[in-house]
Amino acid sequence: MNKTQKIETGMELVRILICLLIAYAAALVILFLIADDPWFVIKTFITGPFSSPRRIGSVINQSIPFILCGLSMCFVYAVNKFNLAAEGIFMMSGCMVALVGLSLADYNLPSIVMMIIVYAVAIVTGIVLDYIPAILDRKFNANVVVVSLMLNSIVGFFAYWVLQNKLADPKKSSVESRTIPASIQMPDLFGKLKVPAGLIIALVCTVIVSIVFYRTSFGWKMRIVGSNPRFAKATGLNVLSISFAAQLAGGALAGIAGATEFMDNYKTFKWTTTTGHGFDGLLVAVLAKKNPRLVPIGALFLAYIRIGAEYLNSKSNGAVPKEFITVIQGIIILLIAAESFLSGTKNKIIFKEAQKRLDAEKAKNTAAA
Amino acid sequence: MENITKIYSNGFVANKGITFGVGENEIHALVGENGAGKTTLMKILFGMENCQEGKIYINGKEEKITSPLDAIDKGVGMVHQHFMLLPSLSVAENVTLGVEPMKHGLFDFEAAVKATQEIADKYKFKVDARAKVRDLSVGQMQKVEILKALIKGAKILILDEPTAVLTPQETEELFEQLFLLRDTGVSVIFISHKLEEVMHICSKITVLRHGYCMGTYDAKDLTEASLSKMMVGRDVVLKIEKEDPKVGKPIVEIKDLVKIDPSGKHVIDGVSFSIHEGEVVGIAGVEGNGQDEVSDVLCGMGGFASGEVKLNDKSIKGKSVRAIRDMGLAYIAEDRMVYGVAGEMSIKMNIVADRFDKKEFKNGLFLNQAHVNEVVDKYIKEFEIACDGRDQPVRMLSGGNIQKVVVAREFTSGANFILANQPTRGIDVGTAEMIRKTIVRKSRNDGTATLLISADLNEVLECSDRLLVMRKGKIVAAFPKANEVSEETLGEYMLGVKEMTMEEMEALL
Repeated sequence: MNKTQKIETGMELVRILICLLIAYAAALVILFLIADDPWFVIKTFITGPFSSPRRIGSVINQSIPFILCGLSMCFVYAVNKFNLAAEGIFMMSGCMVALVGLSLADYNLPSIVMMIIVYAVAIVTGIVLDYIPAILDRKFNANVVVVSLMLNSIVGFFAYWVLQNKLADPKKSSVESRTIPASIQMPDLFGKLKVPAGLIIALVCTVIVSIVFYRTSFGWKMRIVGSNPRFAKATGLNVLSISFAAQLAGGALAGIAGATEFMDNYKTFKWTTTTGHGFDGLLVAVLAKKNPRLVPIGALFLAYIRIGAEYLNSKSNGAVPKEFITVIQGIIILLIAAESFLSGTKNKIIFKEAQKRLDAEKAKNTAAA
Repeated sequence: MENITKIYSNGFVANKGITFGVGENEIHALVGENGAGKTTLMKILFGMENCQEGKIYINGKEEKITSPLDAIDKGVGMVHQHFMLLPSLSVAENVTLGVEPMKHGLFDFEAAVKATQEIADKYKFKVDARAKVRDLSVGQMQKVEILKALIKGAKILILDEPTAVLTPQETEELFEQLFLLRDTGVSVIFISHKLEEVMHICSKITVLRHGYCMGTYDAKDLTEASLSKMMVGRDVVLKIEKEDPKVGKPIVEIKDLVKIDPSGKHVIDGVSFSIHEGEVVGIAGVEGNGQDEVSDVLCGMGGFASGEVKLNDKSIKGKSVRAIRDMGLAYIAEDRMVYGVAGEMSIKMNIVADRFDKKEFKNGLFLNQAHVNEVVDKYIKEFEIACDGRDQPVRMLSGGNIQKVVVAREFTSGANFILANQPTRGIDVGTAEMIRKTIVRKSRNDGTATLLISADLNEVLECSDRLLVMRKGKIVAAFPKANEVSEETLGEYMLGVKEMTMEEMEALL
């Protein structure tokens, strides 16, 4: 790496840290306005997630679907096709796992076989649903953002219809399914932390996706297509099929995400609306700068502030609404996405470095003369 | 301008302590290779870029120029390499933009026409103030640009490579007007790397090299050879030495090719020619006469209406870019940042972008990184790409080095047909020479067939064996030996003063 590259990387880190600081400062200002004891609130918010092993476990637990959805979004973001169907896929995938799991309950299949079957179902669900906006985009140039958002509503209501008409247990007062077989309930890990085994799935997926991105020709193709589609075409890459395939891969991961979250934390299917995980995935992918290796960090961070807000909400008996986290989140994304934020400072440092180099060069020249 | 230093945000130092001055009634040339810092220096004078160090004096007074508007106020005008005109508006509207004559709070078109015509007549510019800019020729657009600066009272006029897009005749006309401007007291700064033009019209010459000022000289004390030596720091052979081609079987055959654009215009209108093994065929022509469309058809980026195009005896109709490349095409695209590289990606990925899918670069499911690195390092060395290593993003390199990345890929792909569309536009003389020599060498040693499309007449005349001229989508002239054609003859065919008949050209297509 040369000097300029080092400065660029270093400044990028500093920039993200400053973004976080500003977001916290803004939160503080808001808290001063709405809370009686803002310092206590801030302390609770920042340290709360670490206050017990159980809560640390919760942070990790919550980061699992964020990691998987973040990876899913890395694919669509890498080829610059914002196919947001992951939101609907997440819910539909959980619904399909419940449906298949319950219909196979009587066969008493071993856990490993059941897991393979339900994950296969989840992946197929994800691919089929992401295929719709992807193929409309490819064949008819239909805007993939609009189509996928519309699709989310359709899929959300369809999953609810399945829940009401095919899954709902009439013996229960609320709308929920029967208890899914134990063979597809994820076990917990790490004793007191109570982290569900889905973590393993998330980490394995992170490794696989990272390898796909940086070590396979498909990953290289995707990155070239995303970076400059016209160059990709001129150099002989099939831009349409590559971005199409990337979207399907993203769909498969969103399917895995929905299934994992469902089997990690639920015994009955009771999602009546989409869960927002798909959009959180986009957020994580933006935080990670579409680099799958950074997705777990982005996901943990998002889970950390979410748990902090939840804990604060309960600790203050609801006086501090969870929604204020949405404000912080907004600020962070705004600042991180605004790439020229602090670019002035970055440029100054680069100028200084170049000036130094120049002076050294001059000194050398005079010495030589 | 005194002691100007400019550092770009990618750490590139474009100007290093440059001192430069231009006097009244003077045409002053600013010369240097591309990337020497000429345009940057002028952008600073015109307020488009700020500098880290240095002072600017106008008429002895120190000035701080903060923006182009400020520069215009202070009497500085600039005509950019790429015109900044509104094609759908008339000449008068373009010229008076910013100083619009008003009547009752509304734009007074008639007054604008009058003012434009007045200033055009004063400097003997033949333009119709009522014409729409989109209907003008490139040469006329340039006049509009100059008028734009003059009407705002420019006393210092900067022309950034004004002749790059002009035909020889238009260039002559421009020079006449520049002399007239000089005699009426305007200082002209003429940026160019065409040495004969510089020697012809300028009285003083300032040479920049790698961001340093090499000094200011009287034109009469210099020769073209001594000037080029100063620019590049070594003797540049302006002629390319080459033996006659050993022409083999046809590699590319084009028959009655027609392409119609969405508005129904025949952008390629019945073109037929072939390119044989071992020869370089040049296409000259004023830009926008169908050369780019021919290039698009050949590389598979654009389709065509009718006709036949064969590469190595197989039709390319309906084939994908990948398929055509596999049939033997290598393609140096006109706009390297758009079609030549992915700027954010590493040098490594850009060099192997067309081939990493091939077996030799794979290890089962994965890419064979060691082999990729080995190949890339070899090419970085072979093509002398100045960089900090294979993982550096391409956008951090200079223009010439970016083009080296492009040719490192295209010249090594094993293709037997190279399509080079403006392969040396906007890059330094050293790299341009390397690319031209490689094109000729590959045709002689490897029997490669090459189609060279270029607006640089010197380049097509020197590199090509056979030369074709395109105008309005047709081939209007063909010459068996490019280096025996004079620029004047070529200009006459390019401008449509003359046209060869089908019979005259038949044997040469």
